[in-house]
Amino acid sequence: MSKRLISGADQVLENVLENVLIFLTSRRDRNAVSLVCKSWCRAEAHTRSDLFIGNCYAVAPRRVTDRFKRLRSVYLKGKPRFADFSLMPADWGAHFTPWVYVMAGAYRALEKISLKRMLVTDDDLAVIAKSFKGFKELVLVCCEGFGARGLGVIATECRNLRVLELNEDEVLEDEFDWISCFPSDCTTSLESLCFDCLESPVNFEALEKLVARSPLLKKLRLNRHVSIQQLYRLTSLAPQLTDLGTGAFGLQDIIDPQQPAYQEPDHGHTFAACKSIVCLSGFRDLAHEYLPAIFPICANLTSLNLSYAHVDAQQLKSVIRHCHKLRIFWTLDSICDEGLQAVANACTDLRELRVFPTDPSENAEGPVSETGLLAVSLGCRKLQSILYFCQQMTNAAVIAMSNNCPDLEVFRLCIIGRYRPDWVTGQPMDEGFGAIVKNCKKLTRLAVSGLLTDRAFSYIGQYGKLVRTLSVAFAADGDTGLKYVLEGCTNLQKLEIRDSPFGDSGLQSGLHHFYNMRFVWLSSCRVTKQGCLEVARRLPKLVVEVFRRDEEDGGERGDFVNTLYMYRSLDGPRADAPQFVKIL
Amino acid sequence: MTSSKTIVLRSSDGATFEVDEAVALHSLMIKHRIETGGADSTTIDVPEVTGNTLSKVIEYCKKHVEAPNSDDLKSFDTDFVKVDQAVLCHLAKASYYMNIKGLLDLSSKTIADMFKGKTVEQIRETFHIKNDFTPEEEEELRKENSWNLFV
Repeated sequence: MSKRLISGADQVLENVLENVLIFLTSRRDRNAVSLVCKSWCRAEAHTRSDLFIGNCYAVAPRRVTDRFKRLRSVYLKGKPRFADFSLMPADWGAHFTPWVYVMAGAYRALEKISLKRMLVTDDDLAVIAKSFKGFKELVLVCCEGFGARGLGVIATECRNLRVLELNEDEVLEDEFDWISCFPSDCTTSLESLCFDCLESPVNFEALEKLVARSPLLKKLRLNRHVSIQQLYRLTSLAPQLTDLGTGAFGLQDIIDPQQPAYQEPDHGHTFAACKSIVCLSGFRDLAHEYLPAIFPICANLTSLNLSYAHVDAQQLKSVIRHCHKLRIFWTLDSICDEGLQAVANACTDLRELRVFPTDPSENAEGPVSETGLLAVSLGCRKLQSILYFCQQMTNAAVIAMSNNCPDLEVFRLCIIGRYRPDWVTGQPMDEGFGAIVKNCKKLTRLAVSGLLTDRAFSYIGQYGKLVRTLSVAFAADGDTGLKYVLEGCTNLQKLEIRDSPFGDSGLQSGLHHFYNMRFVWLSSCRVTKQGCLEVARRLPKLVVEVFRRDEEDGGERGDFVNTLYMYRSLDGPRADAPQFVKIL
Repeated sequence: MTSSKTIVLRSSDGATFEVDEAVALHSLMIKHRIETGGADSTTIDVPEVTGNTLSKVIEYCKKHVEAPNSDDLKSFDTDFVKVDQAVLCHLAKASYYMNIKGLLDLSSKTIADMFKGKTVEQIRETFHIKNDFTPEEEEELRKENSWNLFV
């Protein structure tokens, strides 16, 4: 009897394991549990509700549905990030269609789909709308291939829809009135509606009615066709909003004859009603004289995105000095170093800063520089993430940031001019980036730029032990740099390199590590077809794609491959590769 | 005053426990047995549960029935599951069979916490589970987990 008691623990556990696993949410832990034994693997597969797939080509859809039987939420990523910079040919792939059909057959209870950099068609959206009865959340980030028609089907059929977020998507302009497709006879469950990236206007009257009957709406991001007058009407209907994308924040270009005669909007009132807004974005066509309207809510803001507006230093100062709680701030460099100083003075709690270039060309005026970076490093000690575009930089400022901001996890410095050294000393930017990897012990993501020698990469390899994502453009002396990185960065997952002199020998030095990585991207480098073939031969489970960008179909690069994109896969190469992609 | 009706619960190893009916009813399984049992439902067999475990289950039910609003209920629960892993597993199983949701969730959550941060080998060792994957199967599954279901 007592023998059974003691050895019976494992049998006992299986009976209730599915109950236990309800309380286990971390992917890492669930993966560990699934490996314990076969019955535990089954129990875990039956109870996993959320699935994240970092590369849609790393696994066939059927493998997913064969293993996991009851998914509620799926997050799929397709193209790599460099696709955002036109470095990937159109029609390369990342089709959602095969996934949606397989999932429609397997997951009746699927509620949430998030997609990033995938090709999604109107038909795909219709399949979602018709197959998943309780569908609740659709989030599309950097996707394309669908239009307002597809959105209309979602709006019509998904009666339980809570979240519909379009984030930097390229939506076909088919002029279909999708907003009117939401059921008009009842209140909605909508909590989040974001369409700030939409290029075409929406039916405002229908939008207004929709907002009026969406009492749970907390997040609303409007596109640039919504004028400031229209915005005021919406905010008065939804004072419970916590996240607002303001739309134009300027006047309408076209006067609608049916609108009441133009009246000066009441600045004080608009936002006074919205006491709960903590996240503010939009300003897609800013009329600067209206900026003071946001003053009443600045003190509550934790996130502010002005990156679509040309705000100068003075204008920025008038806003930012109220924003003591700000944690996230995105802006154009039009605010200049002076504006960044104001940010440093006011926002001591800042965690994330992104400074985008107004003019991304190489010889433009640079309104921000090492001065702004230094100021931020001194004022915002808790900084965790920075993306900084500039024309010139110094090692001293970067070193200072590495010392002042020890919590940095993401450091992305983009010195726009190629091969630019430290403009004060004339030295390469090696020491600056070296200091970052050395002093920022939590660093997981790094983007480098400027004039860099192999020394910079030796620092990265030596100290960047936690780095998972590395971006390199126009850098280095030769192969050794790549070798340092591939041999040293033991946690490297994603490597994206363009226009750098890395070749076959550097590539070979990563053979031991490529199966641990999500992908490697090398474009306009010095790898040859032979070199790529060799990798493909040695690592059979690596899908090695070689292709060229559309514009370069004539251009010869001799032996050198235009673009190498490779990633691991258990299910072999994809069947949908277009003509210009060669899989080795 | 509460009714003085008592129920006797008999474990798999023949141990008997006399409990107030109200306490016994905290188990929906027992509640169902009583309601469908007919006249002679004063002794109820619980063959899936041993005496040691049943005793603890009854302790849990007593506390939750007799003092459901007491301030120390939370700390009672926390201390209640400070037991070794084998006892915890028996409690989980018992609460599952006896349909006592509160205790099932409490013990399940505690076991889940024991998984956190552990490697596969550590989990197998803690819970005495035998690995029945072939090396090839295990390798394939590891790859599937880390390659495709990126952590």
